[in-house]
Amino acid sequence: MSSEKIDRRNFIKRATSAIAAMTATSVLRPDLSFAKTEKGSTLEYRTLGKTGLKVTTVGMGVMNCSDPAVLLRAFDLGINFYDTADCYMWGRNEEMVGKAFQGKRDRVFIQTKVHPKEEKKMRASVERSLHRLRTDYIDVLVWHGHSHPEEVSDPDLYEFMMKMKKEGKVRFTGFSSHSRMASLLREASKQNYHDVALVSYNFTYSKDLKEALALAAKSGIGIVAMKTQSGGYRKEKMGGLNPHQAALKYVLMDQSVSTTVPGVTTVEEIEECAAVMGAPFSKSNVNELKQYHAFLQERICTMCGGCTGECPNEVPYQDFLRVAMYLDGYQNEFLAKEVLAKIDLTGAVEQCSECSSCSVICRRGLDIRSQIQLAQQISA
Amino acid sequence: MFFRNFFIFSALTLTLLGSNSLSKEIAIESLLPKDFPEGWTRISGPQVYTQKTLFEHIDGQAEIFFKYGFQKSVFAIYQNGNNSKDQIELDLYDMGNVLQAFGIFSRFRGEDRTAGVGLESNLGDSSLLFYKGRYFVMLYATEADAVILKKMAMTISSSIPDSSPAPKEIESFPKEGLKPGSIQYYPEGLLGYQFLKRGFQGIYVPKDQDKGKRDDKSETKVEVKGEDIEYYLFLVILKDSKELEDILNTFRDTLSKRGKVDSEASTPLGSKVLKGEDPYRGRILIVPKGNYLVGAAGFKNDKEAEDRLAELIKNMK
Repeated sequence: MSSEKIDRRNFIKRATSAIAAMTATSVLRPDLSFAKTEKGSTLEYRTLGKTGLKVTTVGMGVMNCSDPAVLLRAFDLGINFYDTADCYMWGRNEEMVGKAFQGKRDRVFIQTKVHPKEEKKMRASVERSLHRLRTDYIDVLVWHGHSHPEEVSDPDLYEFMMKMKKEGKVRFTGFSSHSRMASLLREASKQNYHDVALVSYNFTYSKDLKEALALAAKSGIGIVAMKTQSGGYRKEKMGGLNPHQAALKYVLMDQSVSTTVPGVTTVEEIEECAAVMGAPFSKSNVNELKQYHAFLQERICTMCGGCTGECPNEVPYQDFLRVAMYLDGYQNEFLAKEVLAKIDLTGAVEQCSECSSCSVICRRGLDIRSQIQLAQQISA
Repeated sequence: MFFRNFFIFSALTLTLLGSNSLSKEIAIESLLPKDFPEGWTRISGPQVYTQKTLFEHIDGQAEIFFKYGFQKSVFAIYQNGNNSKDQIELDLYDMGNVLQAFGIFSRFRGEDRTAGVGLESNLGDSSLLFYKGRYFVMLYATEADAVILKKMAMTISSSIPDSSPAPKEIESFPKEGLKPGSIQYYPEGLLGYQFLKRGFQGIYVPKDQDKGKRDDKSETKVEVKGEDIEYYLFLVILKDSKELEDILNTFRDTLSKRGKVDSEASTPLGSKVLKGEDPYRGRILIVPKGNYLVGAAGFKNDKEAEDRLAELIKNMK
């Protein structure tokens, strides 16, 4: 477990809703073409940026899977890109991947991760990954969980990655991120440090991220999308709605994305995902995603940044949202008060109270007003 | 008689209510040591995470904790006063009940040695995992030191008031041939089959390790993928007899489509068994037993699998 966490959030950029634009022609039709698409009978391949690797558009996020049979099924379905990490199940996940693909190593691409530490420990981590994966090379090694632009351009980290490449332990390198992704992708696009970026991307994300992905892809960075189904397989909790293929198709419409790594745990799930390759995004898929979006609404502020700048009085409501998250989510009043103490809220509370209704609209349907009121209760 | 029953009922009710309210009253952060072991100081936390915020702490891995009934967790970092780089990160998860705590523990543990803490524990080079009652605890040291990890784990374990016993199904698995630390509980998707839902599985090493020797009866036309010689025993937990029938039928259909179903499926375990071959798991044997389905997968020797299953069934209470 990493000790860095709280400031992973707050990726703030002006954006518009992807779901609102979903029915627009420009979204339904792939209008960007940085990754070459080759269609087979059931498989679809794209080039993973400057790596030149021909990857299936549907890969597999192995993280929560513990059964090698699922990996073998994915392999037989033709899927050739697999994402794991040194820390998943504390190494057990890499062990399973290594065991399952023994004798098949030259027919799969394996992506794993390393956490930024001192060089000796990072080197030991890579060696452990190689041992568990039963291989002498890693196809793609990514820094795990970048959240600041300066991390993306850290020369020391870059130097270490270059060493790993020169020593033949790693073929290509990159970074992963769950937050501030647009900023990180823009920063990465300016340099020549990264071959691959692993980022969260699904139909709930902003136009800003979509644009940043296009910029990064244009610069040669291969984009691997995770969290493609925005929460995974919860069919039973959604009244039988099964929007996962639609969600995956939505991501694949974006030609900036080279491959996806939906997290799956069963044979049935990987078959469902694999069937998406080459399949068109239909009108019924639009309806499924609309229903899915409705299901996700009002659940939690994801700090997606989609509402940035929408308050006419320039009330720092996103600080209020952070406070509300600490109060309601973390249940930590101390932390909430600490945030309030650091920011100048003079007048903000009054200004906010004066409005009869809130003009800030959350694309997920979160009641911003009530969140602000929650934060105001402790600032009073 | 009435008074005796009433007394027993009242005592049970009070016990249940008492333990329930006790667990609700405990603030999870109170289970953490403040400054322990000697010379160590808590430098970060306690930070409590809920279902809404766990993702902020462990990103996508939160999903697997949710599947196992995650309630809340607390995180803290301790530092050695003599060496600032010597730190221990501690995560303590409230998983709701002992079954779920065992389940998540079983997904993380390796084949390393036990540490003798909690109901079960696992000591790695620089890590220690254990579960006790409804709690799952992970300790990670930046500098490997098993002694310190054990001391801290012992302290935490002693502060956990939940004395629930380990899930009873664990004891049903035969000991002989069982790979240490291989029993796992899955809340869904047992053996990677979505339709199997929840249950336990354990990995066994065959009596005869020689791959060349193979029971004549198990000859099959289906190519078995993978070369591992280990096999699984598993135990599926069912709601009722209808679910049992549904799962058996689905299993039969799946094997028919993907592999094969043996035409002659009579075994010493009874007549209502399902035997066949799965392309990814190899030989499959399934036997209904009350509200359970027990089975073996990936074995080479039918007789050995039947014997092990018979023992598992015998051990079930």
